[in-house]
Amino acid sequence: MAQMWITMGPQHPMTHGLWTLRVKIDGETVVDTEPELGYIHRGVEKICESRDFTQITPYCDRLCYASAMTWAHSYIYAAENLLEVEVPERAEYIRLIANEMQRIASHLMWLGAYTPDTGNLTVFVWCLRDREMFLDLMQELGGSRMHYNFPRVGGVKRDLPIGFADRARAKTKMFLERMQEYEMLLDESTIFLIRTQGVGYAKAEEMVNAGVTGPNVRAAGVNYDVRWAHPYSVYDEIDWEPSVEKQASIKGADCYDRYRVRMEEMRQSALMILDALDKIPGGADTHYSPGDEMILSKAPNRAPEGASGFHHFEDPRGESMFYLQGGGEGRGKSPYRMSIRSPMFITIPFVAKTMIGYKIADIPAIMGSFDPCIGETDR
Amino acid sequence: MSDKATGASWMVSADQNESAAKAAVSAINSHFSKAGVVASVLKHSSGSKRSYVSIECPPEHWLALAKWLRFDNGVNHCSMITGIHHPDGGADKGWEVVAHLMRMPVKNQEPGVAHVMRGGELEGNDIPMEYEVGIILPPSTTPTVPSVQSVWVGADWNEKETWDLVGINFEGHKDMVRVLNPHDSPVGFHPLQKQHRLRYDGFNEMYDDAQGFGRKPIDADKVK
Repeated sequence: MAQMWITMGPQHPMTHGLWTLRVKIDGETVVDTEPELGYIHRGVEKICESRDFTQITPYCDRLCYASAMTWAHSYIYAAENLLEVEVPERAEYIRLIANEMQRIASHLMWLGAYTPDTGNLTVFVWCLRDREMFLDLMQELGGSRMHYNFPRVGGVKRDLPIGFADRARAKTKMFLERMQEYEMLLDESTIFLIRTQGVGYAKAEEMVNAGVTGPNVRAAGVNYDVRWAHPYSVYDEIDWEPSVEKQASIKGADCYDRYRVRMEEMRQSALMILDALDKIPGGADTHYSPGDEMILSKAPNRAPEGASGFHHFEDPRGESMFYLQGGGEGRGKSPYRMSIRSPMFITIPFVAKTMIGYKIADIPAIMGSFDPCIGETDR
Repeated sequence: MSDKATGASWMVSADQNESAAKAAVSAINSHFSKAGVVASVLKHSSGSKRSYVSIECPPEHWLALAKWLRFDNGVNHCSMITGIHHPDGGADKGWEVVAHLMRMPVKNQEPGVAHVMRGGELEGNDIPMEYEVGIILPPSTTPTVPSVQSVWVGADWNEKETWDLVGINFEGHKDMVRVLNPHDSPVGFHPLQKQHRLRYDGFNEMYDDAQGFGRKPIDADKVK
């Protein structure tokens, strides 16, 4: 049969964003693929060269609409390395709680988007319902529902509000119970299993060599995690372990393994929130006013020429990273160069190549299982 | 619950991290000292202050260094390759390429096996490590470094992006295309070069004119 190219996207439910996957098919079988990105490239790196270090945080929030909190923190940690700022321990605990809430919300968004791709609409509604609980909690911290602008260089904008700890504990415990409902609905759904098991195999070493990180690698039986290998924040004071999934086949991790590892990661994050609320210095029920030295330390607003700072950060989608060089506009008030490593920008070309050999109907299942987010990809 | 265990017991410890960084630096310096490659141990200046390996490499030895790191030192992950334009950098420094690499102890696993690594058990090339490689290029209209696409698959799209946005040529890169800018962008247009300015360059919304009524783009006289 003659081979032909078909174009999936930019408007296609498989893309979970705005990009194009050109697929060469032979009958029903994929024989070649070619991703095209850049539809929503807005030049964040260039804009930030004329913004000062505090003004950059909202731009980093908007890198990923599903995971604003972690992207802002990813930037803030790099900026603190550049500006040589020490962060109060209470602020680090608040950041950890905020980041793990965002990780749960982001994985819920992923699960909600992935299950309709694979034939289960109920979980979509449930996921968005439970994501709302965590968005409410983060709204209490940042004041806004999606883009929080919460971290500051040297700490956080505001302390935990009065009563936040009780609400967070209650909602997290409720969420842990509801996780069992999701698993009952998905792990026992024949349609979901048929769509996800045995497709989209990827091996651990190949993934790491191709730049794929995070839960996608942990699905292949390795517990590599940036929070474990290069601990930042107070992850070394919390009781946790990276979630890791046993792959089902010698060919690597399939879509089902990647689903399982994200479920475990949500559970792990929920337990981390509970643990951090107990261990936070000063007590979770105390409220310090904004700018108090318990939650915000003084930071310089200029970085000298030649200084640089970078930080590897465990984003829900893999390893994100910011590289900042000082000495920009306004005698160092802006970075001379800000460079963003987006995990999905590197992952999408790899995923496109893993699809070769599968049927065209498997493409949404494979692509969705890697959790694409185009806001950060195109920057 | 405050007497619970902590993650520190199984994480990669600070001592481990520092001794691995020192070992990596002395290996690089003894292997590449004649080539002008200089490695040193630096520490992040905030947070847990972990060590990382910082390398300065002349462009002509970058490919050899990359191969040696990848195949003899287990540096299996290319995190980011980025470029910087220094129009005022002097006679020696016109451009800079910065590569961030990582060593990850990741091995393919048998089915049904979860390999749970503990920090204390890792030795030698299995200890995770961060690498930062700086490559200084002289002023030039065609800055060029060797491509490491053949060493790390992950370098492929990083190099495409760096060429697309900054305009640094990667010698030996197969299939160099624009990835973020439109495919029909003018030849030689690389927006992160410093001669390109934002349309509202020098205009500070916060202090000059909060309403923005008076702002004019820099190309206001050229645009109808």
